[in-house]
Amino acid sequence: MFFRKAGISFTRYQDERRIWRLPADRWTVAVILALLIAAPFLIDRLYIISYLLPLIIWSMAAMGLNLLMGGAGQIHLGYGAVIGIGAYASVHAMRAGVPFELAMILGGVAAAAVGVIFGAAALRVKGLYLAMATLAMQYIVDFVIVQFPAISGGSQAALAVPRVSFLGIAVEGDNAPYYVALAICTVLTLFMLNVRRTSFGRALAAVREKDYAASIIGVDPFRYKLLAFWVSSFIGGMTGAVLAVCYYRTISPDQFHLDLSIQLVAMVIVGGLGSVLGVFLGVGLILFAPIVLNQLISWGADQFGLAIPIDLRAHLPLMLYGALIMGFLLIEPLGLAKIYNNIRNYFLVWPFRHARQ
Amino acid sequence: MSLTRRTMLTGAAVAALASQLGARVALAQGSKTIKFAFPQDFTKIYTFVTSEYSQGQRDYISLINGRGGIGGYMIEPDVSDHANDQPRAIEAYERAKAQGAVLIDPLSTPVARALVPRALEDKINLITAFSGRSDAADGTAFPYVLPMSPNYWTQAGLLIDFFKQQDGGSLQGKTICFVHIDTPFGKEPLPILEKLAAKEGFKLQAFPYTPPGNDQSAIWPQVRRARPDWTMFWGAAVGQTVALTEAVRNGLDMNRVSSSVWLSESDMQVVGADQTVGVIKVEPCASGRDPKIIQDILKEVVGAGKGAGPEDKVGTSYYNYGVMLAALMLEGVRRAVEIAPNGPVTGEWLNAGLTSIKEFTAEGMIPPTTITPEDHQGGGRARIARWDGARFVPATDWFSANQDVVWEEVRKYSEEFKKTGK
Amino acid sequence: MDMILLAELAVNGVFVGLMYALLAAGIVLIYKTSGIANMAQGALAMMGAYVVVILAGSLGLPMWAAIPLAIAIMFAFGAAIERVALRRMIGQPVIMVIMLTIGLEILLRGVMPGLFGAAVKRLNLGIPNAPVFLGDLFLNRAILIGGGVSLGLILLSILFFNSRFGIIMRAVSDNQTASWSVGIKVEQAIAVAWGMSATMATTSGVLWGATQGVDWSLSLLLIKALAIAILGGLDSIVGVLVAGVIVGLAESMATGILDPIVGGGTRDVVASVIILMTLLFRPHGLFGREHIERV
Repeated sequence: MFFRKAGISFTRYQDERRIWRLPADRWTVAVILALLIAAPFLIDRLYIISYLLPLIIWSMAAMGLNLLMGGAGQIHLGYGAVIGIGAYASVHAMRAGVPFELAMILGGVAAAAVGVIFGAAALRVKGLYLAMATLAMQYIVDFVIVQFPAISGGSQAALAVPRVSFLGIAVEGDNAPYYVALAICTVLTLFMLNVRRTSFGRALAAVREKDYAASIIGVDPFRYKLLAFWVSSFIGGMTGAVLAVCYYRTISPDQFHLDLSIQLVAMVIVGGLGSVLGVFLGVGLILFAPIVLNQLISWGADQFGLAIPIDLRAHLPLMLYGALIMGFLLIEPLGLAKIYNNIRNYFLVWPFRHARQ
Repeated sequence: MSLTRRTMLTGAAVAALASQLGARVALAQGSKTIKFAFPQDFTKIYTFVTSEYSQGQRDYISLINGRGGIGGYMIEPDVSDHANDQPRAIEAYERAKAQGAVLIDPLSTPVARALVPRALEDKINLITAFSGRSDAADGTAFPYVLPMSPNYWTQAGLLIDFFKQQDGGSLQGKTICFVHIDTPFGKEPLPILEKLAAKEGFKLQAFPYTPPGNDQSAIWPQVRRARPDWTMFWGAAVGQTVALTEAVRNGLDMNRVSSSVWLSESDMQVVGADQTVGVIKVEPCASGRDPKIIQDILKEVVGAGKGAGPEDKVGTSYYNYGVMLAALMLEGVRRAVEIAPNGPVTGEWLNAGLTSIKEFTAEGMIPPTTITPEDHQGGGRARIARWDGARFVPATDWFSANQDVVWEEVRKYSEEFKKTGK
Repeated sequence: MDMILLAELAVNGVFVGLMYALLAAGIVLIYKTSGIANMAQGALAMMGAYVVVILAGSLGLPMWAAIPLAIAIMFAFGAAIERVALRRMIGQPVIMVIMLTIGLEILLRGVMPGLFGAAVKRLNLGIPNAPVFLGDLFLNRAILIGGGVSLGLILLSILFFNSRFGIIMRAVSDNQTASWSVGIKVEQAIAVAWGMSATMATTSGVLWGATQGVDWSLSLLLIKALAIAILGGLDSIVGVLVAGVIVGLAESMATGILDPIVGGGTRDVVASVIILMTLLFRPHGLFGREHIERV
């Protein structure tokens, strides 16, 4: 119906390896990108600043984490700390006069350097133990940031981001930060889409499936695990810089606590491990479900006089958050990306639903 | 099964959309209303205070609205939960701004800090009572950030002055232990205390504990060994009750143990009301049900079945803090209406009112408070109260002390903020 | 440094460590039988304390009745979680299972305060607060009793593993398929492990709740419990006991000696450093069995 091709069948391997296997996919993406670019002219600034912008930035972070978790199968419960290192390194650099473009890369390198040290633990341990090692990293980095006023910014522990410009555009007002984040996110998304078509991506997949087996077929798990930590931490650090400049504008240690790490892992899992599209869906759901639910309740309270006790009302979003994580894991462990795929496959062969996709 | 699920999902989506629409409509018809946004932390760190505080705020606003509002303006509070989560807080802030709110009270130090640059830029009054940066007392550096209450530096200064009064006018050679949560908030009074230690000649010993402070068993034996003449514990939520419990268990003299404004009746109940007789706290406003305003609320709001929460919470310390802040906000509105009766209702309009509050006492409930464009703290007056086993009984009258040291520090940090934005 | 202060800190540390170890023992119990790390253990402790407060406060039961009843309720709840949620996750990657328990943790942290009130609630066990002095040595009565109860329960669970049912559980932890083939009810054993673990969580929730009051922050006990479980080895109850004492001592000493030097609360960092060091030098803990992987 919507697709001119019924099912995906290829005659050449090159066709199957393409990013957009269907012309319709390419068009969908192009339309969405066009809509995103036009968004500031179409919708209220509230939705740009407090919905689209965080969606984009959190998606960047989740993509970085997804490379590690979905791509290389390494769990990371300290990704918030990685982002924090990037944010602090880049903000300090910018305050010292380094341009934003350079500071962002600097933040990425700093995060990657520290991330790799902790990732080194991954060479000895895996699974649950790795989760613990990264959790410990989260606490140690938090402690260091808070304990050194030189890092956290004095007794008020709030570090303002100076006015900067990105490729000659001043990052201020409502729209410029949005476009800067969108541009960086687009580049990152293209990278993520392509990475699994490279030898690097395939090596990561081999390590993910079974690292001993990977080493037997000549993929060095030591090297690729470290590389995965390096690349993913670099992305996290860069995201930290973007987060600080485009969104927070003042950074403080509590922005990068364990909650952020857990939130990002939840986003990746709800979205679907290893899926780029899933990241965006997962981020949207986890980030906005509590806000929408909150408004829904207050709207219901206004309209129908629903008298929900304030304690219950305030905790409903938290319950929803937990229930979402549990529900997805139990009902659809492959996440929103899989649900999207199912729907798409349904329409691909519509109306012959008995046919193979 | 699949049908019902789909119906439910569609229903949810429609309702979500409708809630967005509802917000828009409310904006359109809000001609003679003033919107206050109260996104606060009901679920994460500030759970211990928020529900009572918010109840007090809403009850007082109901009281004034019930009497016909202020100069024809009705106040419309919008309460929501930001869970101390900054993206959610920023969303709430931007939403409030889009809906034309002129005042926002997040009641959370991290959120207040994060919102400072936005509020200054958008000219929306950010209330940071008992939270946020202490140096926001300097109105010249933070024109739209209003603590309107004694900041932590002032509270520490008041306590030290009270100790001095009790010890016959001198603290020379005394030992004061300061047990604090190891966060920027907990460390905040340290510079003031160090300065006062040098000035008054007492020995200051600081003991940081790891947040959130649910295990302080290794801290308090050290405090006991230091043989303090006075002890101050500085934290929030669970850290406070644990600190007090450990102080009792270590056999410290309760008459010489003190804390900031963050101590409430329910904390004392959790520790054991009869074991903590004598504990000292800073009171920014009268507690209990005696003040006239609380009586009025009981009669006109709670009595009429319009109370925002359980009746037994009316008159608790944190409830009264909420009433205090709401009273100050509405006094600001009254002043603003006096200055420009026809508005337009903007952040600047309200700011002019808030910064011209003069000797306001909320019918005897709060110390005389004067807020000027320079001094956003309101004079730094409070009183010291002691727990008598059932309630906090004032031990002093309203007073202010050590304001010179406090303002020196305020100016130092606000100058730095002006220069570097730290 | 004052010797008596050191002794005080040491005694305190040991007993606090034992209190943490009780929660860690629950984690170990579950890991041992089903290979799952339960990140919701802290939330279970919180829930247990809430249940006691509700039974004692709202329903007016005396403490001696409320606590056993709460333990029974929590046993059923623990077994139910396993049946409803965890069993469906068999065969999923470890990330998924960890995340499921984190989801459960978040859910409980919302449900309990949401339904039963977020304000701190008092839980009075009737332990007097008056200090105990042993010569010059100050001892904290609540912590002594808490540590003692914890030690008793952990020893009991070690004994339990030598009973008939305990041997069944050891068989299950060794090899689930083999146990199945000789007629052991593997599901039952795992369900019992979850129930017992919830019981331990409840006890430690009550002990901590008596000190700090009952609210959501009880769930934060998890981190310490994890550090202890990792250091001891995730599948060794004896390890938990030893590690609990070590972590408690280390933290207490760090607070006494390191804090004044650093000028900050080092307690949590010490736990993190312990986790990291253990993983780097002895990944399977002091007493844990090394897991042998086959391709």
